[in-house]
Amino acid sequence: MKTRAFHVDIDCAQLSKEGCQVCGDVFLSRRIKEEDRIIAVMSDGLGSGIKANVLATLTASMAITFTLEKQPIDRTAQIIMSTLPVDSKRQISYATFTIIDIESGGETRIIEFDNPAWIFIRDGKVIEIEKERVNVVLDGGRERQMYLSHFTLERDDRIVMVSDGVTQSGIGTNDMPFGYGDDSIREFVCNRIIEDPTVSAHELAKVVIRKSNANDIYKPQDDISCAIIHFREPRRLMVCSGPPYDEIRDKLLAEMVRDFKGKKVVCGGTTSQILARELGLSIDVGFTLDDSGLPPASKMQGIDLVTEGILTIGRVAEILETMQGFEVIGAGPAVAICKLLLGSDVINLVVGTKINVAHQDPSLPVELEIRRNVMRKIARLLEEKFLKEVNIQFI
Amino acid sequence: MDEKKIEVLVCSGTLCYLMGGSELQLLSECLPPDLRGKVDVKGSPCLDFCNHPKNGRPPFATINGRCIAQASVSLLIAEIRKEIKG
Ligand code: FES
Repeated sequence: MKTRAFHVDIDCAQLSKEGCQVCGDVFLSRRIKEEDRIIAVMSDGLGSGIKANVLATLTASMAITFTLEKQPIDRTAQIIMSTLPVDSKRQISYATFTIIDIESGGETRIIEFDNPAWIFIRDGKVIEIEKERVNVVLDGGRERQMYLSHFTLERDDRIVMVSDGVTQSGIGTNDMPFGYGDDSIREFVCNRIIEDPTVSAHELAKVVIRKSNANDIYKPQDDISCAIIHFREPRRLMVCSGPPYDEIRDKLLAEMVRDFKGKKVVCGGTTSQILARELGLSIDVGFTLDDSGLPPASKMQGIDLVTEGILTIGRVAEILETMQGFEVIGAGPAVAICKLLLGSDVINLVVGTKINVAHQDPSLPVELEIRRNVMRKIARLLEEKFLKEVNIQFI
Repeated sequence: MDEKKIEVLVCSGTLCYLMGGSELQLLSECLPPDLRGKVDVKGSPCLDFCNHPKNGRPPFATINGRCIAQASVSLLIAEIRKEIKG
């Protein structure tokens, strides 16, 4: 099975300027599986509202595409700046950007143009990274400066990107007449990491946004965005469902589950009985019904969740397929599995391929799908919709 | 005297659950007052009765190890009474 040493946890939280429907800051990220590479861009369009959003979207999309193609950065910047439409009032075409390109192994390049300086945090402290100034000559001879940094990320390092709506939040208030400022945001983020060293990118970005909004007395004076990149140990999960094709492989399955380093889910009565038998464990079958309509979850020592098989995984596929965003709502065993799946980075699906003949009975009130197909569907959804690394193994 | 409780295992396997076993999860709550305290109801993973047609149709349960096919709450209560009478 393929395993990646590190995982890049990325998330962005945003708030639009008071009275604007659309955020004028845009954050895009792309994971390129074949190259094991991640590209993320934050762009802040001139002004606010729709026009700013269009400028920033154009900028961010171009930045991603050119970086993907490994175009030289000054060329990328030149193309972006000469392509953007010119603002009729100010007679300039303008959007800021910060482009982050992380290769496998942590090698990182960052290019920034006019955004607040990105922040690099290691061991709860801000580390200054050397930046090389790059001059870009635009059409008409105008010159612009960009900054280029090149370094290698280590485990648990974080990169924080914010738009000026964060650093300038609170501007004009008695507490911070000149705005929150670079130093305060650095201190705030470091303190939050020291309080909870495992804080997720999602949570950290959200607290920064909440703080900035509070600085603005809950009426954002500008678009507010914060993106976090956390280079960390991947959270691993194994979901094992179905008895092996051949009984002689029962032992192998049990050993795989026992030796797996990470969280473990077992879906299927027969599968859990095989594990109980092979590993000398007992199953405590749940007997409380919830409103999910699914058979209740059971307990087994060393396994994080034990559920029924085909009905539950069918529901998991359905939830993953229809859900919007990243928050799973509701209760029951399938929801519990979805929460574990979405909270993990690397997911190993171990699928037993023995056909349960009793499930093929035509008089059943519902048609039971073949487990293999449902698990394939779950793998596809996790990879394509939720950008998880999935390994599927049939046994 | 400490009377030994009747042990009821209700199958929570996929097939039994689909064929009406979900209702059996409520057995404890549906026991008539005279049977309360005399019966121990537990869930079980597939009891493997479903793989052998000679056992009858799901949902399955066992009462002191005796297989009950096409179990319903009322059938199980009747069978528990039989078991008590001996
Ligand atoms: S599912 Fe109940 S006996 Fe198999």
